[in-house]
Amino acid sequence: MEGDVHSKGRASWDLGNLPHVEHLRIERPDSPTPDLVEGTEPGAGQQAAMFVHSRSVEDLTTEADRDAESRVEPQPVADGDPGSCETLGTSENGLQVEEKIIEVVQAPKESSWAESRTKEEDICSDGWRSHRKHVFVLSEAGKPIYSRYGTEEALSSTMGVMMALVSFVEADRNIIRSIHADGYNVVFLSKSPLVLVAVSRTCQSDKELVRELQYIYYQIVSLLTLTQLNHIFQHKQNYDLRRLLSGSEHLIDNLLRQLDRDPGLLLSAVTCLPLPSSYRDAVSASLQAAKAESLVFSILLAGERLVTLVRKKDQFLHHMDLHLVFNLVCSSSSSFREGEGWTPICLPKFNSAGFFHAHISYLEPASELCLILVSTDREDFFSLSDCKHRFLERLRKRNAYQALKEAVKTPSYSVDQVGILELRHFLYKSKSSGLFTSPELPGVYQSEEEQERLMGLYQELHSRLHHSTRPLLSIYRCGETENLMAWLTSGFELYLCLTPLVTKVQAVTAVNKLLKWIRKEEDRLFILSPLTY
Amino acid sequence: MAAVTQEKQYTPSLLSFFVYNPSFGPREGEEEKKILFYHPSEVEKNEKIRNVGLCEAIVQFTRTFCPTKPVKSLHTQKNRQFFFEPEDSFWIVMIVRNPMVEKPNKDGKPPTIEYQEEEVLDTVYGAVLRQCYSMYKLFNGTFGRAMEAGGVELLIPKLEKFFYRYLQTLHLQSCDLLDVFSGISFFPLDKMTYLKIQSFVNRVEENLRLVKYTAFLYNDQLIWSGLEQDDMRILYKYLTTSLFPRHSEPELAGRDCALRPEVSGNLLHYGRFLTGPANLKDPEAKFRFPRIFVHTEDGSEELHLIVYKAMSAAVCFMISASVELTRDFCERLDALVGPQLTLLASDICEQFTLNRRISGPDKEPQFKFIYFNHMNLAEKSTIHMRKTASVSLTSVHPDLMKILGDINCDFARVDEDEEVIVKAMTDYWVVGKKSDQRELYVILNQKNANLIEVNEEVKRLCATQFNNIFFLD
Repeated sequence: MEGDVHSKGRASWDLGNLPHVEHLRIERPDSPTPDLVEGTEPGAGQQAAMFVHSRSVEDLTTEADRDAESRVEPQPVADGDPGSCETLGTSENGLQVEEKIIEVVQAPKESSWAESRTKEEDICSDGWRSHRKHVFVLSEAGKPIYSRYGTEEALSSTMGVMMALVSFVEADRNIIRSIHADGYNVVFLSKSPLVLVAVSRTCQSDKELVRELQYIYYQIVSLLTLTQLNHIFQHKQNYDLRRLLSGSEHLIDNLLRQLDRDPGLLLSAVTCLPLPSSYRDAVSASLQAAKAESLVFSILLAGERLVTLVRKKDQFLHHMDLHLVFNLVCSSSSSFREGEGWTPICLPKFNSAGFFHAHISYLEPASELCLILVSTDREDFFSLSDCKHRFLERLRKRNAYQALKEAVKTPSYSVDQVGILELRHFLYKSKSSGLFTSPELPGVYQSEEEQERLMGLYQELHSRLHHSTRPLLSIYRCGETENLMAWLTSGFELYLCLTPLVTKVQAVTAVNKLLKWIRKEEDRLFILSPLTY
Repeated sequence: MAAVTQEKQYTPSLLSFFVYNPSFGPREGEEEKKILFYHPSEVEKNEKIRNVGLCEAIVQFTRTFCPTKPVKSLHTQKNRQFFFEPEDSFWIVMIVRNPMVEKPNKDGKPPTIEYQEEEVLDTVYGAVLRQCYSMYKLFNGTFGRAMEAGGVELLIPKLEKFFYRYLQTLHLQSCDLLDVFSGISFFPLDKMTYLKIQSFVNRVEENLRLVKYTAFLYNDQLIWSGLEQDDMRILYKYLTTSLFPRHSEPELAGRDCALRPEVSGNLLHYGRFLTGPANLKDPEAKFRFPRIFVHTEDGSEELHLIVYKAMSAAVCFMISASVELTRDFCERLDALVGPQLTLLASDICEQFTLNRRISGPDKEPQFKFIYFNHMNLAEKSTIHMRKTASVSLTSVHPDLMKILGDINCDFARVDEDEEVIVKAMTDYWVVGKKSDQRELYVILNQKNANLIEVNEEVKRLCATQFNNIFFLD
């Protein structure tokens, strides 16, 4: 019964109009219960969802192309550079054209990434071996494309072995998934024409690691488009893809760091900057007004948090694509601060065949606020630049700007504000909006080690809840360092970290109190009224 | 037309099992020499070499990332491959096919096969593989021992002889958490009766000086053992899953019967040998007993295994293999042990029924649980019906058993006390507790219960069954 309601809600939501769910929204209960219909939980948007969003991680495995097919395109978004794809591979010239396009993205990075990458490592040393998570990307010819630690040259024979293992098992009409040893796992993901491998000492399940590799795969697609990627390897199996990716490794590096730390990537959700809804609505309205013919998405970010997102009607942004945009902005923030950036970006879940063009700029050089305007037109830089100015003008006029700047400056919120003594930290995700909220990490989890440990605990709970054949509805776990609780309903997903000595009675009370609090704060923590142009 | 649309479900099954040593055929063209045993034997030579080659490559590959801890399992879409290196350079590999569903297609197209990749638990089948080796070692000693005694020429036939039969007794579809624990079920007993048994053991060891170790079981449960824990664990496994089921006595099918002395021959007892001579009176009788190998401080020693049983009581006497066992010895043993053991068995039986009556009717089935103590290997399950030679039947859904396995995996990772309570999609609650080397798993079927009620319920169980060993709230 419960599942039934759920799937109905989903079907209509996919179509973009929600007659019966909207009707239900009129009565938003104070404290959500497990039988809430999706779309009425705290944090559910009031009109329509912002993202093409999915319940869990499964959708990452569906092919991007299929996703794109099911949607109506406003305009063909294929790269406006007709020559490049065709000539690619037939002449060296063709490739160089492409490389130049990518350089726009890369140009600014040199300074920031050069020092952060410690590539020169002895791959026979214990130091190299003991890294928490290695990630390798190679071509189907066994050529190294990326390695998180150590140079690709030093690792070329190791990667050759990886490829040999993949093809050996394939020869039996079988697929290699993973290798398990004491203390570490090796996980393989074949995404023709690429092969991705993770070697992890974390407790993550294979499924979680594969999901992370999917992110890396889509990050690469986002730099090149799948069309171009396929094209290159069809023409030259032996192609050294590093030529095209060089300078963009820091994007993968940064994404990997985020995967270890950002719950949003785990939950397939995005977090918002807490902001009173009146101000947020004003910001959204200003963005909505500053539109242009070619504009598909306008995204305003505060650091790694979403302030608002305005989209073209009927066009949805997949959370994965949004995370790739976040990653692009966050890993190259210094460059976009200087002025206005204009860069091609493929949003692989939207359309893996072509490039969008993103206008990226900070509202003020020293500000965290970054505006991303995604356009279908390569030549539209100036009209988007104009959009930005119109947006700023309106924002200032409505004097929401000051409030926005204040909100950015204050830290997100501490768990003390919730007023539950036993509660240390939590993650709450509204399924229908694809948004999540979470307080700042308390003192106990501030160190990098503890932060990753806590994330590891959440990851374990997540993978147990979303087990492909033995899913669970709830988990309660008492340990010596903390008590954890996870709860999956049709409307939301909740993870709690409680003090170690809490009793179950206290824990249950805490959950109810927390849900009430989230309901009370929802218009500050979530984007309840997303807008379209 | 309609009849064909039936889905077919296949359980996990053994695809292959092989033993190899890469140092036996290091040169090209000599790869076959590495293979010491391969099941199924009819596989083509090149295919064998290919599969062993892949295993070697994977072992080598994992050494890049940790030289000391190579691969334990390989997951592929179609199967799981388990690796175990019990002795230096000797590898045992077991390949288990994932369970699968065959879905018929219309228009005469071949059926679609869907592999269920998450169904096989590494911990369970890894344990099964280690058990295979332990069982081999119990009856044959180490691989190294055979190599010293007669080289590959001796080892290969030993492997063939043992594994050919043993692999047929593997029932992979019914392996579960109990295989991971591989524990021993102890018979609950009052002090008085326990002392009686101990004095019986002492008396026999006093009178039959040759007896080196003794183990006493009742109702397939252990009461007393003079062996090291690990040896007893595997011997217990052999006795309860192989030897006893083969000799279940028809006249004692109803277990809790009182002593009904009958004159059989001139002795007033039910004692008989389960190993060795079936009938002492037979002039042709052979006095050969199975040999086993147990640990000693400096390696291992070889022993005769005499299993003697009277009604539900069974005693194992182990005697150094260097001694030859004669008819005279067996007759002395029979005369000494037979009557005493018969008496003892009926004592235990009486005591047991009495205790049961005092404690009231069996309340256990109300709670479905598995308990295991790592310190003494004690295990108790109310989930499993009686073990038989072939399958161990459980009274719960296999998915729930796998959830127990998942929780056990989580426990194994962290070396601290923990408790996990989960609600499965089927509205069953599963509780796992780990405290001070003990593990307890409880399955509750209370659809509308909440976390607090489930917790209370488990507390009640701990109070009645385990004297509050588990205090972590």
